[in-house]
Amino acid sequence: MKAKRMLKLFAVLFAMTLTAAACGSGDSTSTTTSECGSDLAVAAGESVTDLSVALVAPSAKDDVAFTQSMVDSLTRLGIEPQITDGTFVVEEAAAAIRGYAEDGIDIIVAHGTQYGGSLAEIAPDFPETSFIWGTSADNQGIANVFAYYPEADQGGYVNGLIAASIAGADGIGVVGPVEAGDAVAYIEGFTLGAEAGGSSTSIVYTNSFSDVALATTTAEAHAANGVAVLTGTSQSAVGAVNVATANDLPWFGTQSNTEAWSSDLTVASQVYHWDVVLADMIEKIEGGTLGGEAMALTLENGGLVMEFNGCYDLDSSVKSDAEAAIADIIAGEIVTK
Amino acid sequence: MEHAPLLTMRNITKTFPGVLANDDVSFDVHAGEVHTLLGENGAGKSTLMKILFGLYQPDSGEIRLRGEVASITSPTSAIEQRVGMVHQHFMLVPTLTVAENVALGLPSNRGFRTDLDAVSERILEISEQYGLSVDPSIEIWKLSVGERQRVEIIKALYRDAELLVLDEPTAVLTPQEVDDLFIILRQMTANGTGIIFISHKLHEVLELSDRITVLRNGKVTGDTTPSETNRQQLAEMMVGREVKLAPDKPHVDLGLARLQLRDVSVKGDRGTMAVDGVSLDVHAGEIVGIAGVSGNGQRELAETIAGLRPAESGSSVTIDDADLTKAGPARTRAAGLAYVPEERMKDGAVGEFEVSENLLLINHGDPKFRRGPLFDFAKIREHCQRLVDQFSVKTPSLETPTSSLSGGNIQKLIMARELDSRPSVILAAQPTRGVDIGAAEYIHSELIEQRNVGVAILMISEDLDEVLGLADRIAVMFEGRIVTVIDREAATREALGLAMAGG
Amino acid sequence: MSQFFTVSVLVATLATAIKFAVPYLLAALGETIGQRSGVLNLGVDGTMLLGAFGGYYTVIQTGSHLQGILVGLGIGLAVGIVYAYVTVFLHAQQGISGIGIFLFGLGFSDLLFQELVGTPKPIRPLPTLDKLPGVGRIFEPLVDIDIVGPLLFDHNLMTYMAFLLVPATTWLLMKTTFGMNVRAVGENPQAADSLGVSVAKTRFIAILIGSSLAGIAGATLSLQLAIFQHNLTNGIGFIAVALVYFGAWRPRWVMAGALLYGLVTATRIRWQSLDIIPQGASDIAAMAPAIITILALVLLASRVRGPAALTRPFSRH
Ligand SMILES: Nc1ncnc2c1ncn2[C@@H]1O[C@H](COP(=O)(O)OP(=O)(O)OP(=O)(O)O)[C@@H](O)[C@H]1O
Ligand SMILES: [Mg+2]
Repeated sequence: MKAKRMLKLFAVLFAMTLTAAACGSGDSTSTTTSECGSDLAVAAGESVTDLSVALVAPSAKDDVAFTQSMVDSLTRLGIEPQITDGTFVVEEAAAAIRGYAEDGIDIIVAHGTQYGGSLAEIAPDFPETSFIWGTSADNQGIANVFAYYPEADQGGYVNGLIAASIAGADGIGVVGPVEAGDAVAYIEGFTLGAEAGGSSTSIVYTNSFSDVALATTTAEAHAANGVAVLTGTSQSAVGAVNVATANDLPWFGTQSNTEAWSSDLTVASQVYHWDVVLADMIEKIEGGTLGGEAMALTLENGGLVMEFNGCYDLDSSVKSDAEAAIADIIAGEIVTK
Repeated sequence: MEHAPLLTMRNITKTFPGVLANDDVSFDVHAGEVHTLLGENGAGKSTLMKILFGLYQPDSGEIRLRGEVASITSPTSAIEQRVGMVHQHFMLVPTLTVAENVALGLPSNRGFRTDLDAVSERILEISEQYGLSVDPSIEIWKLSVGERQRVEIIKALYRDAELLVLDEPTAVLTPQEVDDLFIILRQMTANGTGIIFISHKLHEVLELSDRITVLRNGKVTGDTTPSETNRQQLAEMMVGREVKLAPDKPHVDLGLARLQLRDVSVKGDRGTMAVDGVSLDVHAGEIVGIAGVSGNGQRELAETIAGLRPAESGSSVTIDDADLTKAGPARTRAAGLAYVPEERMKDGAVGEFEVSENLLLINHGDPKFRRGPLFDFAKIREHCQRLVDQFSVKTPSLETPTSSLSGGNIQKLIMARELDSRPSVILAAQPTRGVDIGAAEYIHSELIEQRNVGVAILMISEDLDEVLGLADRIAVMFEGRIVTVIDREAATREALGLAMAGG
Repeated sequence: MSQFFTVSVLVATLATAIKFAVPYLLAALGETIGQRSGVLNLGVDGTMLLGAFGGYYTVIQTGSHLQGILVGLGIGLAVGIVYAYVTVFLHAQQGISGIGIFLFGLGFSDLLFQELVGTPKPIRPLPTLDKLPGVGRIFEPLVDIDIVGPLLFDHNLMTYMAFLLVPATTWLLMKTTFGMNVRAVGENPQAADSLGVSVAKTRFIAILIGSSLAGIAGATLSLQLAIFQHNLTNGIGFIAVALVYFGAWRPRWVMAGALLYGLVTATRIRWQSLDIIPQGASDIAAMAPAIITILALVLLASRVRGPAALTRPFSRH
């Protein structure tokens, strides 16, 4: 119990640090390029709402992946949520969600597909509270639940296309976690992009979101097979990034910007900006609609942003090809799944 | 102080929860003599010896060694003061070698590393000196019971014990092994060692002892020497009443064959044929004794009859014409078999269970102990109390964990449970091993009682006195076969002994 | 496809298996010693996590791998003292006490990580021989040797230590007085006690050695992976406990089990990366290491009995 309280305390401290370090504001274009050597800390935006917000998420809030992307998004919206993170155990998350609802929090973000079952039980008990849940392409038909999901195949396609230009015939190694959700979407989109660019992918699912050792071994196997580029997703991908570093292989990230792990070799990352759909949802909530639909992150609405690493010297023609592809995807001329 | 006894124990008292195990016991041993402790099961013999060896602390009383007050706080301090003990239940580590078991607890000449070569060398010296042949490099589990006992004795000799306690060393030995042991013990006393000997077998006691002290209910009730007493008198000193050493056996007409064995062959633990084509009938109203040196297939045969060990194809085991060759223990029991196994703590009772639970082990499903779906604890208590009283199982309460009963009392408990199940066939292996005279008398009369009412009894025993006293027919087993079947009237000790040796 | 059957792929698979097996092996050897003394420690995974974080954090702070490993050892030792005190002197039930250690390790390592580090940041991984500062150059030609190089020389020092600990553990158990006492108290503590061997002391030390090795195993894991995160071990400690059972409490068989587990894991990853195992079969393939290792070892070791007094607290009365 004490540990939990310390965790919470620390969460608050961390959020304050983030806010204090903030300067400037976020943008919503579909590509950015970081300045090499710059701090990656996300800047807090103008607060969009006075409603109280809480976040429940499975992994650590600074995992450089799934959970951190949501914390960063809320920060960009100027929201300082109460956070319960690290709730891999669904029962713990359910208890936290119910606790926040009982405390009268207005908006509860349940950031994990696995929380869907708990929400179906909890949400009807609190019809005044709005629940935001993802990733999921449908809201289970509950009036006070909004669902969100990334069209991760879109950025995957763009990453794949760029990767193909680097890898060519040597091929690309993909370190997948569990064959489900946005991981599959990303990897399938990536493969289509790579094939369009004249390369190929070798895909291994480790069957775990968190097994770093297995992700490392998988990346090593790809490297030993002679691939020229690596990509991967989930919090276990850090193991694969380390292998990329050790073997001097370019790396493509997704979910969050992975420059924190590999500042030299990350070429580009597809970053989830949940804030785009969150902003829409919050607007509806303030208007009295507490849920009832699912919203997608796309390149078009700025929910997916391709972040290029300024430290990586990417051929400018490749970059402009990628930008053209983004435009085509938005225009519907390239199909990514 | 020159002629002070080697050991003097004065006014020793020791209580356990609910039991006064030793009550003001005084006792001494001189160098070079064998002093026997005799007493019923639970009389307190082992407790007194464990106090001497530092395993228990007495509540009051004093121990002197060579005239000096000795404080024996642990086995280590006992060993340092040259007291050795061969426990009733062997204190050997089965997965370690003989040399390792001997070296355990002693400093090594090579510091951190063991020096088993040096240990082995000394073991061989000792074995030569006393004729205790044993291979130091072999693991204990590969040894026979007699050989294990030799290792226990070597352990004590290796530590230069001047006073050696042997707690029921002969209970598990064959007659030949007992003879060998006595030769060794006599040699030790000749070298000045004092020996405390515990046994329930009166002829052994009379043969080996210089002095005998009798304990009853934790108190010394008398002492004597072999020259001034006899078996009958010793038995009565122990039990405190008149004892019939040879049970009365009325004539009973033989009934039908209730247990039939046909060509029973069984593989042993090591894959060799332990029982080889045994055929035998046991009729209603007779006791058939199987005599033989242990290790000749008796245990495997018993386990097969009880449904615990599969027989080879072609074998047949029937009880009252029901074919039980492939039946497990449950069906075999349902067909009317009562089984008293040889290894009481391993196969006969659950040590951690309470006395009452062990008494109920085979019939806890009986509807008479139930009220609806629940146990009827009042009925159960009544039933268990009756068995405990009837078989005079000495226990502080029905809730006592079985493992803290004395060895003989555990045996009585198992007998009580099995005989109470109204069997048609009783299979009893070593039914009175480690059991005192009084209880043995009771178990014997109970077996005869069952025979008289038409139960078929197959008794396996290494104790020739027991076989000759009880059996109507005697089968001798040697190397997995029944080599001869003799009627009791025609049997002599000599003929049986010869057959047991394979002659 | 035919790539798989080339020598270099086989060699690389084997080399991966060896590296992968190291944390399992270290933890399982420690647990072997503890179990031989009659004490089951289900807290290995928790101890590993604490050791993993301690080692990782030390490297962040000092940059020294050696210090990282030593801190892992120290943490293992400290956890071992707690576990030994509770199980040996307080006679606590071993199963549940071990689970307690596991849960503590899982939660506390994560808490410390959140407090002290936050964002997982990679550290410098344990160097392989040829990258050792100073002496690395000597090994460079060795690593380049065909087949032998990647198999025998392309490893970090902890790998050699883990495999050297196999004969060392056997020696400790079979050739020293302490080892003899360990085996005795695990098999028949009453007998050991009756000869003046202190059951408590022997078990205490055995637990400390086992727990220290678990701490080292954890530190080795995080230093090899060059990262720490929540539940980094992912159950390695539990598999290590299973390997002890299936390896029949013999260091050599335990090593065989760890290597087999590593080999099957490496093979399945490699087969998938070469498309020999089709996409979509990954769930089944992921179970293969556990299933194959269990089957193999059960077939080999099913006839061997464990220490008779395993999980049984000892007291004289
Ligand atoms: N550790 C113990 N805890 C409780 N009671 C005990 C313990 N050890 C012995 N007793 C009890 O003390 C009494 C004496 O037991 P002890 O073992 O000394 O008998 P014994 O004379 O050796 O009998 P046997 O001939 O059957 O071996 C018995 O009633 C026994 O139940
Ligand atoms: Mg006794």
